Amino acid sequence: MADDQVVNANAAEEVQSHAAGVVVWDVPSAIVAGERFRVNVGVKCASECRLATSRIGIYDQAGARLASATLPEGVWPGTSGLYAAEVELTAPGDEGLFTWSVRAPEGDAAGPHAEGSTTFGVRVVRQPDHQITVEAVDGETQAPLADARVVMHPYHATTDARGVAQLRVAKGSYRLFVSQTRYITVGVSVDVTGDVTTKAELFLEPVLERN
Amino acid sequence: MARKRDIDQKNRKTRGAKAVSRRDFVKSGAAAGVGSAATVLSSSGTALAQGVSPADAVRWDYEADVVIIGGGCTGLPAAIRARDLGASVIVVDQNFDLGGKMLHSGGQVSFGGNDPLQHRDIRGERDPEGFVTVGRLHSVEELTEDPDFLFRDHTDWSVMDAAAQAPYRYNERDLHRAYADNCGPTREFLMKNYVRFGRVSGTHGNGGMSRARRAVTFLMEGPTTDIKKGTITAKDAGIRGVSSSHFAPRFMENGAKVVGPGARVNGAALSRGLEFAAREKGVRFILNRHMDEIIREQPFSGRVVGIRASYSPRLHPQTGQRLESLWQNGNVDERRQTIHIRARKAIVIGSGGHGNNPQFRSMFYPAWREPAFVSSGWAMLGPRGQDASGIIAGMRVGANLAGMHQNLSYGSTFHFPGTLATRDPYTDMLPGHPTFPFRGSTGILLQPSQFQHLIAVNQVGKRFHNEILVTIREGGAAFPAAPSKGQPNAGMAHKPLDWRNASIENVRKTYAEPNSVHAALAMNEGSQAPDYFSGPIWAIFDRAAVERDKWNINPPFTSPTNGFFFSADTIEELAAKIQKGHEFQRVPLRYLAETVKKWNAYVDQGSDPEFGRGPDAPMYRIEKPPFYAASLYPVWHDSYGGLRINGRAQVIDMQGQPIPGLYAGGEASGGGNQHGLGRALVHGYIAGTHAASEPTGTR
Repeated sequence: MADDQVVNANAAEEVQSHAAGVVVWDVPSAIVAGERFRVNVGVKCASECRLATSRIGIYDQAGARLASATLPEGVWPGTSGLYAAEVELTAPGDEGLFTWSVRAPEGDAAGPHAEGSTTFGVRVVRQPDHQITVEAVDGETQAPLADARVVMHPYHATTDARGVAQLRVAKGSYRLFVSQTRYITVGVSVDVTGDVTTKAELFLEPVLERN
Repeated sequence: MARKRDIDQKNRKTRGAKAVSRRDFVKSGAAAGVGSAATVLSSSGTALAQGVSPADAVRWDYEADVVIIGGGCTGLPAAIRARDLGASVIVVDQNFDLGGKMLHSGGQVSFGGNDPLQHRDIRGERDPEGFVTVGRLHSVEELTEDPDFLFRDHTDWSVMDAAAQAPYRYNERDLHRAYADNCGPTREFLMKNYVRFGRVSGTHGNGGMSRARRAVTFLMEGPTTDIKKGTITAKDAGIRGVSSSHFAPRFMENGAKVVGPGARVNGAALSRGLEFAAREKGVRFILNRHMDEIIREQPFSGRVVGIRASYSPRLHPQTGQRLESLWQNGNVDERRQTIHIRARKAIVIGSGGHGNNPQFRSMFYPAWREPAFVSSGWAMLGPRGQDASGIIAGMRVGANLAGMHQNLSYGSTFHFPGTLATRDPYTDMLPGHPTFPFRGSTGILLQPSQFQHLIAVNQVGKRFHNEILVTIREGGAAFPAAPSKGQPNAGMAHKPLDWRNASIENVRKTYAEPNSVHAALAMNEGSQAPDYFSGPIWAIFDRAAVERDKWNINPPFTSPTNGFFFSADTIEELAAKIQKGHEFQRVPLRYLAETVKKWNAYVDQGSDPEFGRGPDAPMYRIEKPPFYAASLYPVWHDSYGGLRINGRAQVIDMQGQPIPGLYAGGEASGGGNQHGLGRALVHGYIAGTHAASEPTGTR
């Protein structure tokens, strides 16, 4: 910052704006039409400027402003200078994959920063019809596998201590994956026409021979 | 020349007639060596009289009957064998310690041909020390064979692997005849020199399709590390995920399945055993000494008479202190810049392969001229390890090459081992070995399915293949046969020399090579004339992947300073950090942000139209900061192709004649496509046998 301030004082007309990077995360993979959901939005100045109190704006696929937020004090844990805010949004009423955008920092608080932007996908689904219950076990020992990931795109879930995960999904055809660290991923095709309860046996992935 | 050729023809016939019996073979080989060399000496006498030999100008600093270049898998057995036969021996090695790649290997040695270990298992016996407590792992039938059978197996034209490569048909016949005859004696020799083997279990890559021949070397966990007793402390054997040791640069695995409870296995057990024996028997070692030239009486004629070698110490990157070998007895502490060592009888080239020499390896594959990628064991061996220097020195005195194309015939010659965040992704070294600071990080070892959590990009930030397949490689056709390895029949149903093994129908059925490494090495928008380097490969992932799959991205698995791991708050920042901080990142990753954005859109859609991700594993967005980039480097594991040698391990010149007094083996030699330690050990044994029998030169 010190160097940049000197430049500002001596040659204001040649000031180069600081680039701002924008990231969006924890976007739910499937959002029921019309429901509220939350995402995290972070902004990073390339020169690691303090961006607390800067404004961010969120826009839909047509460019309409949906929400705004003010970045709070303090950088996001694990980052060197990312200022982030949680933003609550409302999903569209129709099913589909929508591309929304974030612009930040906006307005006067932006200071010498060029506005940054990014896009993110919002997958809107209809009200789920059926419940899928998956029990993940070690194929050798039959011991339950906790924290196994169960994915039926776009639905995601994680197994509990009993090795069980539940997802509510819409009727349709899916690829059901169950994966866990160091195990071979199980993938099966399923047609969902009613509630499903299934057991997935996972086997340890052979360790690559190093010879 | 005519006289030499005539004599060689005569010798060759002699060898052929006696090749069935191993004992006869060794005898006749030694006798032939005497005759051949004596003739050459008389012809070089003429040159001496004319006073034109460059060798005359050399002032020798040391001399020995046999001078061995490289104290590894070929050099150590050659040294012990020559010493056993009464020769004085000097071994020079460019590194600060002995063992070469053998020291960090898995310790798996495939021999066969009715070797003593096959016998031991057939009879159901244990080892003399009683360490081997598990029972036989194969049927008598799977262990029963003879050298003729092994020779046929190693030269079988018909065998194809699952990458549609033929691993055996190009093997040099004379070389493999001798290999088959000497496997048994070499196993016996090793066991007499502090090498302990577990049960025979399968066969190692390209060690033959028809019988079980592999055994791994071990030591037993005990209160002390004692080669004579066969024990090693748990600390020296390595603590998983925590530390390696000077004794064993890689964690020694649990050998319970092939030895019994308490056994620790890998190449350290083999290498340190041989080193101990060599030191005990009076072999002298000049370490930190790189061989730069082999000196011959005339540039392309006469005997080889010695070597020129230069000082090549390894200095600790932080303290500047010279690294020292684990054991010192027998070492000659010689620090002059250049010395000459006379070989009264013979020189054995056991300097390793060409895997760390980009110019040399590019003879085989231009994409491998990329200097970023190294040979396995790079930090341990140093920048001059596996530098092809023995091969090049041999070429300079007239040697021919053999089998360069056989680099293709083994699936692990070059590949992605799957370890991120380190330059040598093969050697999973932990802190504790003196060379750890050269690499700085152990690396994050991922199994193939764990690649579902990342994308892999080239030097401009573009994806190049389905990431799930990046570490998949096929090849290594060896017993037991299986369709998954490219053969139509499994196990003992395999039919050697059967045309159906190589039929179009079989290749169509069994081909399974994804060729991902070639996609990684392909030219891209950042490749520039004249070398068109493909540049580094990066694994890109986010905080969510680390949390989801529980990766340990902390030191020593990564290093914040070695340039092989970066984290950043945004993808744009990550790209900039890589370019600034990685030695081989020559161009900006200008597509990286776009690639990640595109990938996230594919995840939202549930399919990857570019590289077909989706049906094989779930897809995850790369969205949660911080973002990470970890190197995803291929490695040149071991090299095939090198000096042409005959069945006596003599180096052969461009006219098909042995270069008098010059021997070679292991990765410095070509024409043998067997992966791993077996071929190098046998070559060393043969070379040591014949080198010791050479006449003493007059220069």
